[in-house]
Amino acid sequence: MAALRWSSAWKISTRELRAARGKFLFVLLSVAIGVAALTGVRSFSTSFRKTLLAEARTIMAADISARMAAPPSTVEQQQLDTMMQSGMKMTPVTETISMASAAGSVNSVLVSIKAIDPAQYPFYGHVKLQPDAALSTTLTDDSVAVAPELLTRTHAAVGDSLRLNDKNFRIAAVILDEPDRLSNSMAIGLRVMMTQQGLASTGLSTPGGSSTRRYLFKLPQQNEQAVAAAKASLEKILPEALITDYRESSPALTQGLDRATDLLSLMSLVAMVLGAIGVGMSMRAHLQQRMDSIAIMKSLGASSTQVMKIYLLQTLLLGAAGGVLGVLLGLGVQITLPLILERLMHIAPAFHLQPAAMATGFVTGLLTTLLFTLPPLLDIRSVRPASIFRRAVESADGASWAQRAKQHQLQIVAGVVLFAGLAGIATVLSDSALVGRWFAAGLAITVGTLLGIAALLLLVLRAITRRTGLALPQVVRQGLANLYRPGNQTAAVLAALGTGVMLVASVFFLQHAIVSDLRLSSANNLPNIFLLDIAPDQVDGMRALLAAQPGVRGSAEMIPAITAHVVSINGVPAHDVKLKNFPRHMLQRVQLSYSDTLPPGTRVLQGTWWPAGTQTAQLAIGPKTAERLGVQPGSHIVFGVEDQRIDAVVSTIIKSDGQHGYSRVEFILPQSTLANLPVMWFGGVHVDPPQVAAAQRALYAAYPSVTVIDVADAMETIRTLVLQITRIVQFLAAFSIFAGIVVLASSVAGTRYRRLREIVVLKTLGATRARIAAIFSVEFAVIGLLAGSIGVVFATLLTRVLLPKMDIDFHVQWRAAGLTLLLAMVVTNGAGWAASFRLLGQKPLQVLREE
Amino acid sequence: MQAREDLSNAMVEVRGLTRVIRNGDRSVEILRGISFSVGKGEVVAIMGASGSGKSTLLGLLAGLDTPTGGDVLLSGVSISYMAEDKLAQIRGQQIGFVFQSYQLIPTLTALENVLLPFELNGNGEEREGVARAQALLASVGLADRMHHYPVQLSGGEQQRVALARAFVARPPIILADEPTGNLDTINGEHVLNLLLALNREQGTTLILVTHDAAIAQHASRIVTMRDGVIVSDSLTGAV
Repeated sequence: MAALRWSSAWKISTRELRAARGKFLFVLLSVAIGVAALTGVRSFSTSFRKTLLAEARTIMAADISARMAAPPSTVEQQQLDTMMQSGMKMTPVTETISMASAAGSVNSVLVSIKAIDPAQYPFYGHVKLQPDAALSTTLTDDSVAVAPELLTRTHAAVGDSLRLNDKNFRIAAVILDEPDRLSNSMAIGLRVMMTQQGLASTGLSTPGGSSTRRYLFKLPQQNEQAVAAAKASLEKILPEALITDYRESSPALTQGLDRATDLLSLMSLVAMVLGAIGVGMSMRAHLQQRMDSIAIMKSLGASSTQVMKIYLLQTLLLGAAGGVLGVLLGLGVQITLPLILERLMHIAPAFHLQPAAMATGFVTGLLTTLLFTLPPLLDIRSVRPASIFRRAVESADGASWAQRAKQHQLQIVAGVVLFAGLAGIATVLSDSALVGRWFAAGLAITVGTLLGIAALLLLVLRAITRRTGLALPQVVRQGLANLYRPGNQTAAVLAALGTGVMLVASVFFLQHAIVSDLRLSSANNLPNIFLLDIAPDQVDGMRALLAAQPGVRGSAEMIPAITAHVVSINGVPAHDVKLKNFPRHMLQRVQLSYSDTLPPGTRVLQGTWWPAGTQTAQLAIGPKTAERLGVQPGSHIVFGVEDQRIDAVVSTIIKSDGQHGYSRVEFILPQSTLANLPVMWFGGVHVDPPQVAAAQRALYAAYPSVTVIDVADAMETIRTLVLQITRIVQFLAAFSIFAGIVVLASSVAGTRYRRLREIVVLKTLGATRARIAAIFSVEFAVIGLLAGSIGVVFATLLTRVLLPKMDIDFHVQWRAAGLTLLLAMVVTNGAGWAASFRLLGQKPLQVLREE
Repeated sequence: MQAREDLSNAMVEVRGLTRVIRNGDRSVEILRGISFSVGKGEVVAIMGASGSGKSTLLGLLAGLDTPTGGDVLLSGVSISYMAEDKLAQIRGQQIGFVFQSYQLIPTLTALENVLLPFELNGNGEEREGVARAQALLASVGLADRMHHYPVQLSGGEQQRVALARAFVARPPIILADEPTGNLDTINGEHVLNLLLALNREQGTTLILVTHDAAIAQHASRIVTMRDGVIVSDSLTGAV
């Protein structure tokens, strides 16, 4: 047989496009919207994540921090030097405590000294000083910058001298903001910042003293993979160091980012699948309209392969054109979204052109177009030229399921290829392996189940209408009968719409749950002032004072702290126990605390929290601490407090949000276990930022021995960032949902061509427009109700699976579910009528000629 | 006059052809064992009332449908149970079909519709195909309507395009199903004359289905059907 030349097939396929541009618009828009949503969401979320992570680095002022008791050994330093040759920067931060006094004063105060290299520190963020100047020019070897509370306590001012261990330093500036304030240990004392040489000149940083060292690292590449690799290298080079990366400096921020990433990954996948559904539905409707032309071509001598070639080219062209349009729209989203967000929400993520995202979007659009048009293209094989003579659909002659399966085996294979292809695309697209894996599997199971449920529902409908017979009004009877008449594609339409509703509803439910959780961690009553060294007899008075203080929100968190040391772990003495990147000297001084209830901002990861009044020595610790000490539930840790021994069993692994007082404590036990032991307290309270200074003065006046640490600015930074995440998630979710609704609407609208002949015949027989409208409204409403119900149920199931994996509690969102169902019916009806209303008003012959 | 049965020169041969349509529990016998043959160059009219099975018979002759029993041979080759792709090749190279309702592709112009069989079957160079299509359209009086879409043409004009399309690939057999059935008398006569003229020019074998005795008289032989069987097969004496 003479083959159909590709050039001829191209000509035939493009002729059809040229002649019916309006009809192809649905297909084009479906692809474009899907690709635009995919490209826009993906590109924007990448830019936004980069911006947020850059902000997150300021909380540590570095990419990685290593806390050590002593400077690196010669060998360790050589290895660090090797790493620095690749562009990594390193700067030391030495912290110690001492007594200081203003010149001419005999009163001394406890200070927390931080010695840095002003030429390098901080790597991210900046230290705000008053008077405003750069740290590198303000700090010299004989000057210091101090916290404002120190000036209050010592009655000193900028320009005065501060005496530290027999050395005088000029107070050059006041520290208004320190980027890594939260990352520092909760050392007591008022902040004094000086140079390394300055500290050395005081003699306070001699070996064997109480100073600790941190080394801050900045990497040449700031992507997460580079940070993870560098951290792993440093853990090997410095086994005695406590190494943390910037993501650990604020669990709330990191958690918020991770959840947002999960949701944004899901949105990308949803956008892809919705676009693909739109394409599949549109192409199916398009090919159904072409059945006559296909039958004619076959009667003129075209083989199935030749006809498929023609429509495959058409599909590729539509997919490519839609992909290009979608990428351009996505680029538009990427450019305009930051401007909108800046105006509306005062968020200014930087714009980064994302060629990779654009290419991914285009290829994804093309691939999903091809995948989803495969089944309707294969249906071309079964178009019989005899259908020109006989429009009635011949039944399958009593063929069994096995025979039908054999008849449609290529379509079945195409379906398998389709889902395998989707799974592959989902895996590549998803930044979250969790989401990608569950999405692909969930989609395959859902669509298969939906098809089955849809077919079953139609059988039930048919049974109902048969039983009710003429009892139902004619309009309802005919509307319902339309759903299961021969040749109708209702099962496929229901499955497609149900899947679409499921995906859109999943985005809605998930973002609602995530945003609610994010709001908890960005609440404006979280502690932003910490109080150290509170004596037991001061606790009640402190609470009362804070309760009466203007600007204080909620009640103060008071946490008991008992100084202890670790004697042994699982029977192994502390000096022999194997640790993982946990400085051994830190075992000599640990903080224990007690609580009989789960502390605020804490959730249980493993085990259970003990009941109030428990007498047994149980222990709750964080996952990182457990990993570093090499313990798990059931392990024993023996603590020494003065001359007492406490043998505690690890019973609970907990995770803290880092925003409450208890997040500063590593070991929590039941109250009874630590009774009668010497305890000091520390606390946390939220004070509105404008009232912080007044609160500090009041506290100092009443309790001069209590150290007040103001982290309001740092907490506000975190809170603002988490809020930004919340708003971005909401905005992008709304965008994805809107795009999804448009695609679903176009899918419904694409079924209008099926109704044309029916409308014409009904009008010819005398039906009024109102009656015809009522018949189709019944059809649309039932489709919307069924698809909406199926979609909502499956969305709830998907949410049930995904939320616990994100550490978020699951609740059925009844109101949201009801709203989704209602919206599905409204959209189905609205879209159906938007596409079909003009047909009611036109003369039958005119419509037939045009079609 | 009795029909001639010259099987040795048969262009089309039908042997015991049956076609039954099933829909659920019900079945309808449309053809009940039809047998006849058509020689090369013959013009045969198949007549019968509506529902006699004549259009179904024509569809089976063209390989557009599969019989329930019996066989159809074209130039001695059995086509009834051929694979679809092979049948498509037969249709493209050996048969030209004129439908009652024209069956033009609405998204192609008149010229493009006529050109389609040529393109689908890769018969020769494109320029040759275009020239032939243009010539055929001119011969049916549509030289100035080549670039119009079917919706812009009258019924008669559309059927003339369909005629041109049927002849463009120079098939040896033309099958026409009620070619004037949807046309008024004047247009119908015009189309019929064009069909017969083209048939004479190209020496094709023409099988024409009609319920109109006046049209059937133009054929050299009339096969009459009733209720799925042939009730008579006779020569008309027309040349």
